[in-house]
Amino acid sequence: MIEFKKEQVFIVTGASSGIGEAVAILLNELGATVIAIARNENRLNKMKSKCKNPENMHIEIKDLTENINELPNYIKSLKEKYGKFSGMAYCAGVACIYPIRMVDMNILANIFNVNYYAPIMMIKGILDKRNRLSAEEGGGSIVCISSIDAKLSSKGQSIYAGSKAALSASVKSISKEVASSGFRLNCVLPSIIETPMSLSPESPITENINPEEYPIGWGKPQDVANMIIYLLSDKAKFISGQNYIIDTGGVL
Amino acid sequence: MNKSDFLVELEDILQREDSCNESDNLNDYEEWDSLSKMSIMAYYDKSFGVKLSLNDLKTVTTVSDLIKLAGNKIQ
Ligand SMILES: NC(=O)c1ccc[n+]([C@@H]2O[C@H](COP(=O)([O-])OP(=O)(O)OC[C@H]3O[C@@H](n4cnc5c(N)ncnc54)[C@H](OP(=O)(O)O)[C@@H]3O)[C@@H](O)[C@H]2O)c1
Repeated sequence: MIEFKKEQVFIVTGASSGIGEAVAILLNELGATVIAIARNENRLNKMKSKCKNPENMHIEIKDLTENINELPNYIKSLKEKYGKFSGMAYCAGVACIYPIRMVDMNILANIFNVNYYAPIMMIKGILDKRNRLSAEEGGGSIVCISSIDAKLSSKGQSIYAGSKAALSASVKSISKEVASSGFRLNCVLPSIIETPMSLSPESPITENINPEEYPIGWGKPQDVANMIIYLLSDKAKFISGQNYIIDTGGVL
Repeated sequence: MNKSDFLVELEDILQREDSCNESDNLNDYEEWDSLSKMSIMAYYDKSFGVKLSLNDLKTVTTVSDLIKLAGNKIQ
């Protein structure tokens, strides 16, 4: 059984929807204090209303792409408010289908801002020794959501796939920098999961899917959340710098 | 955007050597493939804030039908 203490403070980004929402609710249910970050206040409040321990669920409205260079200071301000961090689940992200002929710097920036630059600067903030628990205090764990597209992607996904592959590669390197100080970092790489991102009617992602590749059906946000929670917990103390595909075997 | 500007944009999106006309049947264009459809979806989203599905594009025959999918954004 995985348990957390309320003194263990975790940031969950993307907590207003889909996978991030599932992670925030489960982490809170298992006892941790959760700082839930997203832009949409209504949806964050809705998420909070589903929580088992609302007193340990704190909502922070933030556009993570607004001033990316300042994100480490943002983490510092959160630490001053809530205490030192035990880790983070970075679940914010945007998807796009842009064939190469449609790509320009605006699109590249939009995608990389949320999917790559912001998580890197958030990680930088958390890994500042002044903002996190030391090894003696229990250390901690960071999990970022990458995507199956980092390994194998279809047409129109080059920029999304690139942002996720970049994140996976950087997280692996950072994990080595901090291994000896009690912090672990990993990525999970889900294939198709039923969330607003993949279910929206205009999503070409889902229209291109071959049902035969999904013998057990599509994943649910909880399926990814379970893996993330495990990696955040001490049960995964021997696991760092890894990229875990979450899939039923159809894709890779 | 006016229609003639859109026709020039369309030529570029489809990467056609020839120009496009409102009455053209898209299915007659060899460039009208799945990548071109994705590109149109991306273009409508970026330029007009209109989110199309591949199903919407399946209902389209002529360039003029495509223009209609932009609502009143292409006059
Ligand atoms: N669904 C899938 O099939 C799938 C597959 C593989 C990987 N993934 C990845 O999993 C992660 C979660 O996706 P999901 O399916 O749960 O998507 P989702 O339901 O669309 O949720 C995305 C979350 O990101 C937040 N977000 C987006 N831009 C933000 C910004 N600028 N600042 C702060 N928060 C922002 C959104 O919150 P607000 O709008 O409230 O700000 C929302 O909570 C993403 O990284 C996605 O790439 C998803």
